[in-house]
Amino acid sequence: MDARRDAAGQMAADLALLDAVEAGAGPVLRVYRWTPPAVSLGRFQPETDLDLEACRSHGVEVVRRPTGGKALLHGGDLTYAVAMPRPSGAAGHVDALYRTLASGLIAGLSRLGVDAEIGGDRGPAGPVCFAAAQGADLRVGERKVCGSAQVQRGRTVLQHGSILLERLPFDELDLLACPEDPFWRHLGTSTGPKWRQNEEVGVVEGLEGARARLRAKSVTLEELGVPTDPAVVAGAIVAGFESALDVMFGSRVRADG
Amino acid sequence: MEYPEELRYSKEHEWVRVEGNRAIVGITDYAQDALGDVVFVQLPDAGLQVIANASISEIESTKSVSEVYAPVTGTVVEVNATLEDAPEQLNTDPYGAGWIFVVELADAAELNGLLDAAGYRAFLEE
Repeated sequence: MDARRDAAGQMAADLALLDAVEAGAGPVLRVYRWTPPAVSLGRFQPETDLDLEACRSHGVEVVRRPTGGKALLHGGDLTYAVAMPRPSGAAGHVDALYRTLASGLIAGLSRLGVDAEIGGDRGPAGPVCFAAAQGADLRVGERKVCGSAQVQRGRTVLQHGSILLERLPFDELDLLACPEDPFWRHLGTSTGPKWRQNEEVGVVEGLEGARARLRAKSVTLEELGVPTDPAVVAGAIVAGFESALDVMFGSRVRADG
Repeated sequence: MEYPEELRYSKEHEWVRVEGNRAIVGITDYAQDALGDVVFVQLPDAGLQVIANASISEIESTKSVSEVYAPVTGTVVEVNATLEDAPEQLNTDPYGAGWIFVVELADAAELNGLLDAAGYRAFLEE
């Protein structure tokens, strides 16, 4: 488990997996946690989606992922990153790769006693990854437990994703600045992060209501009552990927950086 | 899947429409289908000098970022700015409204290294 890097170092280490595969390595896998907490933005997500001062005051690093998708708060999660040659033909398509790797994650979570499925509704376009389960993601019932994103470079692919172990004392709502977005209306308010500057009781209730609704969109392993020890979860995920990809990672698992 | 006869194709799934010394470039029907719903296209800057097979643009679809490669060497002289607001044109009209950029050719002979429609179809079936 590699928690010795800062957020930028974690992203560089993930990209190094892609470099290794481009240079001829077989599939490689890395599992890690984030210390201190960090919020990662998708490759093309505007930084203005975040309230950078709020991130600083919460001790949260900000980093940009090489992969697509939306803002994800790391710290209570376990992150996997897998890079491999992209299969030719239909098996190398974006959705097909997601399905292949999801089968590994599902097998891994199953070892922990979690019955996860792929996909879900596309949900509203919004700035928060865990607000909607898409085709690339895993859900338990209707609640998202793992969000994933990809980058494809030539004949190689890197996919990484977060499995929620436990909640942090704060969440994405405390870090966002996106005053005009359907996301906020979806969560039951049109005022967005203006709550934080407003002392009116009703507005605070609006924030907590939105927080409750956001949290209802996702679920942690702790809330599911299954093991949350990162080493145990990592072992299950590695075994799941090995069975789905029919590969023994062995020394190609980088658990200590 | 359609692969118009008048276009040339790269093995990285770009198409090229040649007009004089200009090459209009987009991604093929196969590529847009493989990517899924396109949500963002990062366009190259006009004036950029490109070398064949170099990464020139990136496309985000379904939380996946994929590179677009220049099929020919030359200078980018025009980009399709309508993709900033309507990136889905890559899915709905890949050979028309979904064009991405135009390269002024440095060496027209490079076009001979690209595939014709039949060659591209055969490549997809390999």
